[in-house]
Amino acid sequence: MTNPAIRSDPEKLLRQVMARFVDQEVTPRAREIDERGEFPQELFKKLASMNVFNVRYLGMKKGATGNATLYCIICEELARGLVSLAAETAKQCLMGTNFLYRFGSPELKEKYLEPSMRGEMVGSFCLTEPEAGGDLGSVTTTAVDDGDHWIISGMKTWITNAPIASYFTVLCQTQPGKGIRGLNFFFVPRDTPGVQVSPRFDTLGTRTTEISEVAFNDCRIPKDYLVGLPGKGMGAFFAILAEIRTMTAALALGVARAAFDASFQYAQERKAFGKTISKYQLIQAKISDMATDIWAAELMIYDTTRKLDQGQRVDKESMMAKYFATEVACRCVDQATRILGAYAYSMEYPVQRFFRDARFLLYGGGTHEVLRQNIARAMRF
Amino acid sequence: MRIVVMVKQVPDTTEVRIDPKTGTLIREGVASVMNPDDRLGLETALSLKDAAGGEVIAVSMGPPQAVDVLSEAYAMGADRGVLLTDINFAGADTWATSYTLGKVVERLAAEEPVDLVICGRQAIDGDTAQIGPQLAEHLGWPQVTYVGQVRSEGDQLRAWRRLPDGDQEVLCPLPAVVTVLDTPGEPRWPRVERLLEACRPRAPLESWNAADIGAPADKTGLRGSLTQVVETFSPKTKRETRWLEGTPAEQAAALVADLREKKVL
Repeated sequence: MTNPAIRSDPEKLLRQVMARFVDQEVTPRAREIDERGEFPQELFKKLASMNVFNVRYLGMKKGATGNATLYCIICEELARGLVSLAAETAKQCLMGTNFLYRFGSPELKEKYLEPSMRGEMVGSFCLTEPEAGGDLGSVTTTAVDDGDHWIISGMKTWITNAPIASYFTVLCQTQPGKGIRGLNFFFVPRDTPGVQVSPRFDTLGTRTTEISEVAFNDCRIPKDYLVGLPGKGMGAFFAILAEIRTMTAALALGVARAAFDASFQYAQERKAFGKTISKYQLIQAKISDMATDIWAAELMIYDTTRKLDQGQRVDKESMMAKYFATEVACRCVDQATRILGAYAYSMEYPVQRFFRDARFLLYGGGTHEVLRQNIARAMRF
Repeated sequence: MRIVVMVKQVPDTTEVRIDPKTGTLIREGVASVMNPDDRLGLETALSLKDAAGGEVIAVSMGPPQAVDVLSEAYAMGADRGVLLTDINFAGADTWATSYTLGKVVERLAAEEPVDLVICGRQAIDGDTAQIGPQLAEHLGWPQVTYVGQVRSEGDQLRAWRRLPDGDQEVLCPLPAVVTVLDTPGEPRWPRVERLLEACRPRAPLESWNAADIGAPADKTGLRGSLTQVVETFSPKTKRETRWLEGTPAEQAAALVADLREKKVL
């Protein structure tokens, strides 16, 4: 009798495939790509050939958030190989394309979303301004209604992927003085007259991720390039903010695991005073602490993604997961640099890269100083 | 062209370690993967389908969890997967395995003719390289082994064999069995949406047992095997270093005497 019930577990299977992709394609080239400091076009195209950028949208009804668990598995595994590649992928799957996916016209989607899924275009997301980061009510970039058009004016900074982006989703104030209630999102193609992208920033870590400023100088865009609900722009953003934070936690988990794996292996090879350093209790304590931290972060992240996949609100949980997992990553990369001793200080070994890249995760999705305050507030404290 | 590809789930040998006390493989906690040569075989089949159309059916014999390699094969582009799983198949040597795989090909060919069977050259856990050739014998089909590239030419297959002293080009009538050790390009990566499709109940992945392929119990598994593995061990090597003292002439004399005593000279 045939048995049609034997099936693979999709999460386990996806993790296996992504882990193999990282071990075969990413890890062996990570040092060279990081040193060159250029956007890893070839790997990005390979991820597109696997349809990775579409993972959140597969089988989703319009407007639904989706597949957070699968998305975070991909982010975590890629970050184990190269945090910047993971961050670029994460952005393409979510912030870079999400407003276009949810609110873009069929024509806009055909022209921009489909090539983005094929890895031919990169989408970027413009939130932060020189005087507005966590405090989004202070955003000063404006969108002014001009009949058939909107006119966008302002300056955005710390824009990931901006130097290579084909289009931007830009947070703008439509009713100055209304604070957060006047905010909404606008789709601005890069070739719109008035868009100006600065040279890329020189950064400590995630050196293949190109980050820069973007100036919008009276950019005229059609009326239907408003990609949000009129009057409820931030509602559309808050719908994905929890997922952005959980994804950042997954990136942190990936780099923490990379630091742990390097430490675990090195400690069993390196000999001091006649035995491997893994035999010394102080090293064992570090390995135990890292493993315990990593397990706790994993439980928090995937508990949060499962709730997200069930449509539950996870504002507080996602902040806690982002805060905890990123601190875990920072602790793990620090411990790794102690276990590997001077070798961690050498550019030849990957641990220095993990150490630099982990810092990137402290800021995206909210600094921990702001998050901790918001966690307390979420508990009505 | 209708192509059947054999894919085996094997332990990831990059993770396998040897237990220093027992000399056997530590399989605990080791991930299972698609056998690397079988991945090349699947890529060969998919390239043929890309060029000339047709159907690619992936077949795997193993425990229920071996369905993972079929899901991956489907995600790479195979049209259908067949998992052969039955307690009677356990403990099969290459003879019983190739007999069982031959019965599957016969059943598939009864549905619609099969033009080509592709196997990886060998599996990284057994390293026998016997399944492909034995399968060809069971089916009574011609075989081309150690293939690095193929091209479909009507009812024939042109294949390039990678041999130690160079490539050999052969033209083979179909149906045939081919074993593959290389492909012109890298095997493609699975696509995420097809991976997810493969996990759904209506995915075209079937499970067949001994009765489904009409394989009698005494011809499959341990009972149908002509060989048995009595023991697996790492060869023990003993090394001893002796320092020869004295002048160079005395050391040479001592060395020659020692080698004569051990009957090396």
